[in-house]
Amino acid sequence: MPEVKVAAGVVGSLVAAFAALALLSGCTSAPAAPTAAPASQAPRESASPAAAAPARAVPDVPRTSAALEDHPVVVPPAPTRLEVPDLGIDVSVRPVGLDDQGRMGLYDDPAIAAWYQWGPAPASPAGSTVIAAHVDSLEYDLLPFARLRDAAAGMTVFVTDAAGTRRGYAVQSLEVIEKADVDWRAAFDRSGAPRLTLVTCGGEFDYENRRYLSNLVVTATPVG
Amino acid sequence: MKKIIAAGVGVGALLAFGAIAPANAADDNAMLSVLHGVPGLTVDVYVNDELKIDDFEPGDLAGPLELPAGTYTVAITASDAADASSPAIGPVDLPLEAGMNYTAVAHLTEAGEPTATLFTNDTSQIAAGQGRLTVRHVAAAPAVDVLAGGSAVVSNLANPDEQKLDIPASVVSATIVAAGTTEPAVLGPADVDVAEGVNTIVYAWGSLADDNLALAVQTVSGMHSTPDGVPAGSAGLAATNAPGSGTGTWAVIGGAILAALALGFALLRRRGAAESER
Repeated sequence: MPEVKVAAGVVGSLVAAFAALALLSGCTSAPAAPTAAPASQAPRESASPAAAAPARAVPDVPRTSAALEDHPVVVPPAPTRLEVPDLGIDVSVRPVGLDDQGRMGLYDDPAIAAWYQWGPAPASPAGSTVIAAHVDSLEYDLLPFARLRDAAAGMTVFVTDAAGTRRGYAVQSLEVIEKADVDWRAAFDRSGAPRLTLVTCGGEFDYENRRYLSNLVVTATPVG
Repeated sequence: MKKIIAAGVGVGALLAFGAIAPANAADDNAMLSVLHGVPGLTVDVYVNDELKIDDFEPGDLAGPLELPAGTYTVAITASDAADASSPAIGPVDLPLEAGMNYTAVAHLTEAGEPTATLFTNDTSQIAAGQGRLTVRHVAAAPAVDVLAGGSAVVSNLANPDEQKLDIPASVVSATIVAAGTTEPAVLGPADVDVAEGVNTIVYAWGSLADDNLALAVQTVSGMHSTPDGVPAGSAGLAATNAPGSGTGTWAVIGGAILAALALGFALLRRRGAAESER
């Protein structure tokens, strides 16, 4: 039997807990199950670039040179290293795309975190740089990203890119969200202020299907 | 996806538009960019008899404008015109449908006459890892092929047509040659960033006879996909619950849920404390 902690004030949630029981019987993605982990969806900034405001009259028109030579190719360098000194995290970062199920690909090697290469990079003028890694594996035990659950607001994260630039970020939030409820569109947003999103797994584990029921999402914003 | 706009008035007409624009307008609106692709002529652009683009230079892209769906009358005049009454191109009616993204291009016909063409920019979703390359021939020149990596990715493209293809996102070294040939290069080679989830539109404009052919580029973004999830664990070692063991599983799960609830409260309290520190 696992150790059962019942915090004062939680008892009232028994009803919800047993409702969850019914839904958990074999199904891993109980959609409406009251979740045990804090599933708060913190309001995110939606710095959507206000495109030309809709108006009845024809608005003023921005214009620019379309000449190809005036649009040199600028590809931001890929992130290569992630450090969270307070948590003892120091891992290499390599680019990934999608896996065969349309999810973000990840590396089995515990020393390598994955950067979603089709989204923003640290040097991109806008959007969320997403770096993710496994929380554990049967082969390697608990992995560095497991310590992200101890991330605290203000904690410093460093990301170094292939050009050698090392950028500092400050942790803004940590959320544990049921997988079906994660707003991936926001996590992988390519617009808005530059920011860093770290993702791993957390919360409860479905031992039958060998998957976690939640994702742990840490957001951080550039420092300085 | 293309409409020829009857043009044909003035002698030195002009214009082509290109720009970087969000792909999708609000539901009831259309997005419109304008590219000036007529060499050697600075113009003014009137929309519904209102001067909207003053002193528009060849090779420039204006917009995007987000406009309520409807038909707009566009007239292009010499830059010193007092009003839209004597256009060099047009007036032409542009029917803009809600939710669509357009580029109106003032350019030369293959024979060198000024005209205007309304293109519809493809804003359908692009598969992850892919970019969309659209090539438009709006130059006074015969049909062309576009070579990338030594092979033709666009074949026999004639004024005022377009061809498009989705390819793995990459920087493409593109060369434009006469249709059916591989050299000499009419334009390029030039590096074109076919970025993931973006429609990169390349225009060949100007005049072969006047030796002023050029490339213009416009990008329309926002058609990328988003990963469906992040499968980041497989062992359960960081779980807030414990493995079940056949009989008694229900009790174990119930206990685990209570434990998780307790942990959740603890986390919430910790977050509250962290926030109050700020």
